[in-house]
Amino acid sequence: MTTEYINICLADDDQDDRLFFTDAFDELKIKTKVSTFNDGVELMNYLNDADSVLPNVLFLDLNMPKKNGLECLLEIKKNENLNDIAIAIYSTSSSEEHIEETFINGANIYIKKPSDFETLKKILAEVVTINWQYHTSGLNKDNFLMRM
Amino acid sequence: MKDVQLRNSTIFLKIIFVISAAVIFFIAGITFKHITVLKKSSKWVEQSHNVNMELERLISYLKDAETGQRGYILTNDKSFLTPYTESKTLIRDSYKKVSALTENSRTQQANLKNLLFYINKRQNYLSKTLYLTQQENYDKKILNNYLIIGKSAMDSVRTKIENMMSTQQNLLQNRQEDYKSTMNYTPLLIYLTLLVTLVLITISFIKMNRDLVKLRKTINTLSVANEASNLAEVVGGFGSWQYNLETNEYNFSDNEYRLLGVKPQSFKPSLEEFLKFVHPDDIQYVIDNAKNIPTNSILPPFTYRIIRKDGEIRYFRTLGRVVTIASGERTHIGTTSDVTEEVYANKFIEDRNRELESNNKELTAFNYIASHDLQEPLRKIETFLSRLVTKDYSNLSKSGQQYVTSIQSSAQRMRILIEDLLQFSRTNKTEKVFEDADLNSLLENAKQELTQIIEEKQAIIESSELPTLKVIPFQIQQLFINLIGNSLKYSKENRTPIIKITCSKIVANDDEFLPNNNMKYHKIIVEDNGIGFDQEYVKKIFILFSRLHNKNEYEGTGIGLAICKKIVENHQGFIFAKGVLNQGAAFFIYLPID
Amino acid sequence: MKVHLKYNYPQLTKKIIQDKLSELGYKFKIIGFGEFVFLEKIPTEKMMELTEQFQEYGIEVVENQKSVLVQKIKDVIVEMVNSEIPLNVKSSVHIAEKLNLSYVHLSSIFSEVTYTSIENYIIIQKIELAKQLIINTDMNLTEISIQLNYSSVAHLSTQFKNNTGMTPSAFQRIIAKRKEFTNNNS
Repeated sequence: MTTEYINICLADDDQDDRLFFTDAFDELKIKTKVSTFNDGVELMNYLNDADSVLPNVLFLDLNMPKKNGLECLLEIKKNENLNDIAIAIYSTSSSEEHIEETFINGANIYIKKPSDFETLKKILAEVVTINWQYHTSGLNKDNFLMRM
Repeated sequence: MKDVQLRNSTIFLKIIFVISAAVIFFIAGITFKHITVLKKSSKWVEQSHNVNMELERLISYLKDAETGQRGYILTNDKSFLTPYTESKTLIRDSYKKVSALTENSRTQQANLKNLLFYINKRQNYLSKTLYLTQQENYDKKILNNYLIIGKSAMDSVRTKIENMMSTQQNLLQNRQEDYKSTMNYTPLLIYLTLLVTLVLITISFIKMNRDLVKLRKTINTLSVANEASNLAEVVGGFGSWQYNLETNEYNFSDNEYRLLGVKPQSFKPSLEEFLKFVHPDDIQYVIDNAKNIPTNSILPPFTYRIIRKDGEIRYFRTLGRVVTIASGERTHIGTTSDVTEEVYANKFIEDRNRELESNNKELTAFNYIASHDLQEPLRKIETFLSRLVTKDYSNLSKSGQQYVTSIQSSAQRMRILIEDLLQFSRTNKTEKVFEDADLNSLLENAKQELTQIIEEKQAIIESSELPTLKVIPFQIQQLFINLIGNSLKYSKENRTPIIKITCSKIVANDDEFLPNNNMKYHKIIVEDNGIGFDQEYVKKIFILFSRLHNKNEYEGTGIGLAICKKIVENHQGFIFAKGVLNQGAAFFIYLPID
Repeated sequence: MKVHLKYNYPQLTKKIIQDKLSELGYKFKIIGFGEFVFLEKIPTEKMMELTEQFQEYGIEVVENQKSVLVQKIKDVIVEMVNSEIPLNVKSSVHIAEKLNLSYVHLSSIFSEVTYTSIENYIIIQKIELAKQLIINTDMNLTEISIQLNYSSVAHLSTQFKNNTGMTPSAFQRIIAKRKEFTNNNS
């Protein structure tokens, strides 16, 4: 499906993080459409809605109230309609085992939230472009694993 | 075993007794027979003697008659005729006696008849002679004739009597002959039997003696065992009971009573009596379990409370089993132990565990706070600062710019410290899985993680074959990363870093670092040719956050080796270090071989 | 019953295109991986119909000239990376020669359309192939690095880690555990 824009979604309960995120994409040259959600329930409701435009890349914070990132991840992976979405876990630091666990559960990308805005921009740009390559070059998304 | 022996003894003794009785009866029988024979024999002798005597008398009477007659004939004195007249009756009586005495001998009866003939004949001629002599004139020739015939009759009588006497003698001898054999072998038999009996009795005696000795020993052993068992009960704080499945009766040991706080055998042992001591809440439980005693062969242990006579509550554990004893009876034997201390100790441990768990939960919560809640505001600070710098740096005053820069570096330092702290507290053992891992792979992974620096420094890493061990793989990998990373970080400038990793098996006794015992370890040495360190500070380097260089010389927070130490301790191992300034450092890791 | 699939994308797409074009009934000839030509004129509505049908398969009819060029560049790169024959020239030279255009020109158009540089794309393709080799074959890293024209294993590891953020062995481990996970959960 060609669109001019790359669709991005973020689910994060932290207001500041949402702000950083949207600002970063604003400053990037890539054509993107960014939607943010405050918690897992809001996110899943959107994704499960038949009329919704599904994102190319979904950024998931792990620690959210009502429904946390891991629960969303598992739910999305079980849903065939949502198989095309590249899922990036966007979280504060976790243990090695925990990070590996998110990959095993189906996440494509793990991003540790950086402490510097420029770094954030760089990371997001890289994620989106690599994802775009997968998308446009017919590469196997199952092998799409990235850790930043 | 002894049991069977004793049983055999009983049978053996019974047999001996029966044999002995039989023998005695046998002897009695024989003796009786012998005596009867003796009696008979003596009777016969007597009889023979009587016969002979009578016959002598007979002849004597006849002789008297003869003599009397002769005397009369010579003297014509009538007084001489008295024996003659008396003799008739006497002879007749005597003859009757003999006849009676020889009733059972036909030979003698025949002889008697014969004798009678001659006696009669003699008497006849005696009276004839007498009659003749009483005549005035008598013919001497006839007298002579009569006398000669009379004499021959008398001779015949005499002969006959002698005949009869010898016959009697023969008869007697024949009879004696009969008895002789009996008489002969009877004593032999008796002696033989007596000998046999003597032998049997001796055997019985020996056997009984032995059995007695055995019994005595057994009784001794039993007494000792009984005493020991009683003592064991007192020392061990338990009592024992028996339930006889045939008689449905209980038996309590002395200590069973003492456990309840009462005098031994102070009440008749029974379930009802025991239940009186059981805690009211546990009575049904005990009853339910005790129901199994008559029916099941095993009574599994169950714990309940009792209230002693003095009001103290104790915890008891009872268990039992059916045992078949020597006589074939089945008895249910069980013990009751006072496990109050154990129960309390367990409770104590459970309480401590709960305490530790809640401590652990608190620590985990702290962990979480440190990772998420503390890092979060710090990250915001840094991010907003970076935004500030990007957008408004030029708008700040000189001092403002300086301040912001300082704030940034402090915030960064703080973040790194918190990250390191977090990593350190994550290096624990709880909920970590120990699995078999090839240490060579883990080393490879570590080298891959450090690829960039290895490339940069053109470092050479040599390793010998490492074992496969049960470890927490991530942690051992981290151990290698930290040590090799350090070697790379603290490498000497202008010198190609060479890092050697070797492994060997050693026994604690033989090693310079380990305590003296026989435990076996894998000894892994990571040594480098970097800047080394002063051996004086060897203990310091493993301390959390302790560094030998300041942050301007070499970056780092001083946590790497502390983490290494923790990892090694998680695996029940040891880590030591040796360093020579400007030459290099070596780290010795010991992991137990289990 | 579970079935595992592996896709041969060139073959897959070619078949779809062939089937669809045959259905359409117009004469055509397939030239390359992403190119075919109609041998007769085709009305616009039919073209639109075809475009729509292709869209269902995720096949995009590229109309933009620039996109066409980019696709060609990508094709060359994919072929280059996948060939087992090592290159004697620098990849930039090779591509320029192949397409008969200046490398600078190609670079700028490529970046404009794909948001990434040719060099980066080459690396992406190489790493992608490396991933496939790691998962699907028994080759060790040394062999893979040779096949992919790396100067050393370390070079491959570094690039792999830079690109994906994890070491090749970590990648391998995670993919294996992921397979196990999905096996257990379906």
